[in-house]
Amino acid sequence: MALYGELFLSEILRKSVFDPKGEVLGKVKDIIVVKGEPLPKVSSIIIERKNKLYQIKWEEVNIFNKRIISTYLNSSFIVPYQPAEEDLLAVRDILDKQIVDANGAKVVRVNDIKMEGYNKDAVLIGVDVGMRGILRRLGIEHGGERFIKLFQSQLPHNLISWNYIQPLKPELKAITLTVPRQMVSELHPADIAEIISQVSREEGAHLFKDLDIETAAEALSELKPEKQAEIIDAIDTEKAADIIEEMPPDEAADVLSDLPKEKAKEILEHIEKEEAEDIQELLGHEEDTAGGLMTNVFIAYPPDITVSEAVERFRKDAADNENVYYIYSVDGQERLVGATSLRDLLLAEPAAKLSEIMKTKLKTVTPDADEMVVAKIISKYNLVALPVIDAEGSLLGIVTVDDIIDRILPPAAKRKSRKV
Amino acid sequence: MTRRERLLLFLAVMGPGIITANIDNDASGITTYSVAGARFGYSLLWTLVPTTVALVIIQEMVARMGVITGKGLSDLIRENYGVKTAFYMMLGLLVANFGNTVANFAGWAASMEILGLSKYIMVPLGALSIWFLVTKGSYRFVERILLFACLVYFGYVISGLMTKPDWHEVFRNTLIPRMRWNSEYIILSIGIIGTTITPWMQFYLQSSIAEKGIKKEDYHASKLDVIIGCSITDIISFFIIVTCGALLFPKGIMINNASEAALALKPLAGDYAYMIFAFCLANAAILGAIIVPLATAYYICEAMGWEAGVNKSFKEAPQFMWIYTLTIVLASLVVLIPGAPLVFLMVLSAIINGLLLPFVLVYATMLINDKKLMGEHVNPRSYNYISWGTVIVVALLTIFFVIVSIFPNVNAL
Repeated sequence: MALYGELFLSEILRKSVFDPKGEVLGKVKDIIVVKGEPLPKVSSIIIERKNKLYQIKWEEVNIFNKRIISTYLNSSFIVPYQPAEEDLLAVRDILDKQIVDANGAKVVRVNDIKMEGYNKDAVLIGVDVGMRGILRRLGIEHGGERFIKLFQSQLPHNLISWNYIQPLKPELKAITLTVPRQMVSELHPADIAEIISQVSREEGAHLFKDLDIETAAEALSELKPEKQAEIIDAIDTEKAADIIEEMPPDEAADVLSDLPKEKAKEILEHIEKEEAEDIQELLGHEEDTAGGLMTNVFIAYPPDITVSEAVERFRKDAADNENVYYIYSVDGQERLVGATSLRDLLLAEPAAKLSEIMKTKLKTVTPDADEMVVAKIISKYNLVALPVIDAEGSLLGIVTVDDIIDRILPPAAKRKSRKV
Repeated sequence: MTRRERLLLFLAVMGPGIITANIDNDASGITTYSVAGARFGYSLLWTLVPTTVALVIIQEMVARMGVITGKGLSDLIRENYGVKTAFYMMLGLLVANFGNTVANFAGWAASMEILGLSKYIMVPLGALSIWFLVTKGSYRFVERILLFACLVYFGYVISGLMTKPDWHEVFRNTLIPRMRWNSEYIILSIGIIGTTITPWMQFYLQSSIAEKGIKKEDYHASKLDVIIGCSITDIISFFIIVTCGALLFPKGIMINNASEAALALKPLAGDYAYMIFAFCLANAAILGAIIVPLATAYYICEAMGWEAGVNKSFKEAPQFMWIYTLTIVLASLVVLIPGAPLVFLMVLSAIINGLLLPFVLVYATMLINDKKLMGEHVNPRSYNYISWGTVIVVALLTIFFVIVSIFPNVNAL
């Protein structure tokens, strides 16, 4: 039997279900939801009768609206409900749980579920995540509406359409409704990080597993260290290694340094040798020093090559290097002798030598310099990156301005929790 | 695991239990202990032993839930018992914690007056500093302040030692329970349990453990954190009772609150002991005033699914910011406006706390026995007798306390 119009799940819960004679069979306890086209649909109603649960199939339902629910069956024909692993129950598994609102890029709670008649089925069209849903569940939606009218204002309808939600999978217990893979991936990694930081460890790991490696790496670097360690610890070593490998070595080192030693070692073994060496080099430094902040991926050419040669090499080298602002020049002993900004490089005569246009009086720090010192130098001299050199003057790495900003003004998901 | 590794693990995990337990001794707790000491000397000391045991049993369950589910208690109640249960529980928590905040601001005002500072300056100043500290301060700074504040509690130990109590008497009274069939005695002994085991600290502990992301494997360290924290709380309570019991009780000085205790101590204990007492009260009060409104706003928003976070604006997280701000503003106003129903609010808060606690404890014990949530970490069967026993006894005592508070004239005994 069909449902005409729309109704909310809360409007039928604990409602009496009648048999053809008009006698009460029991009260609505839950509904079983199955995958449907285009939207998930109600397949059965679970009723409670004398503390026992019975299942009434949708085909056996006669009238279904917010006033009356009835079935064709007599009390002697209703069958007890046998719980099955794959059943998805709307009240048990969806209502009151947290979900990801892909549009708003945040975590919300399901206050109610909206259903609508479609052909002969009752389909789930969306979830109510607003104040209205709460008031309706408390049975005071109209009172609330009148109250808010006194202030010349209106209660908003906060519905998230089911279209933004992946087809249902019964085994999805953690985040009961996950938005489709591509929807989460389309979010900015910083938003994904914020969502992950708001849910429990298992839910976060679950969400994380669905991301592609590149997005995962970016989202991971936006999380605070404890959360990073939690997530990496919860996913398998193989995938963890892929993600770590994708991150810039300085950030990868930060993540690994927070992991248990064995796990970190295991992951390092799965990473390509070259990358692993870069990371290991950085692991030796204290976190809040120039050494801990720097990345050892930078571009350095001999000072005697020409500008056109440098541009040519730069095109190749910078392809998989995100933060390049300067071309450094080092001599035969790896000692830093100068730096050329990309602007100067492009403005210079192609035939000129790097040594003619590069700046030679450079600000540098040693790896043990405090992060605040680094920040002050970068701020005072308006630098985008600051070279880190050892006692002999060899270039070890660079600290970029975004590394330092992240330390001083961490993004929301990276900030330590303030539940003090 | 070597000894050093075990120590390091403990240091990483510790915190939630110890901090929660310390904040538990807020202004109203200190008041109860001071009054108990002044009125009955050392003879109520023994109640601290069963109270500590009950506290450990309850906090351990809550901590275990935080570790295993990674969620706060208000989340779990909402997800398993629906919006109605969660809503009314949060409403109760809001009212009770508003009363707690009022009590803390009142304690702050009284201790400032003792130290010679006007409450009309210090209360607004305190409220403003708290608000700015939490919404604008850096986490490191707040954490340092909290840790320092936790250390200040040891002032009570010092003042207790300074009074040179008769230790033989003190230990005899602590270890040998002696019941007195006197209604005031019974009410005070239940009061001690009521201020030690509060609804909001269960929410606070579980969230801070979930937030810290402590892993199942490290749970034993977390358990130690809880046990140490609970012991510290009651050691502090012990010394407050000892101080007042040693000095005020023999002279028969009657007091009604913690600041009167500090004042009464002045001629008896000399300047330092009374200053320490007043300073510790100020510290406990302001610490409570920082945590309680913040914690309340967090749990309510978590349960209701509203945006929460101190670094969000009024526009981004309206419910959170308004609950947090209004609690502080209204509580400090109540303390400042002459003739405001201060005592009524505090009694109301104690009653609602008492009404709420049985529900919180029963839900917590039901949740921890839920196989779907806790898996193999549900209570073992034998342990369940102990935890249900504790929960039922504590619940019955608080209900009794509520009845007596509502009808003070009913003298059941």
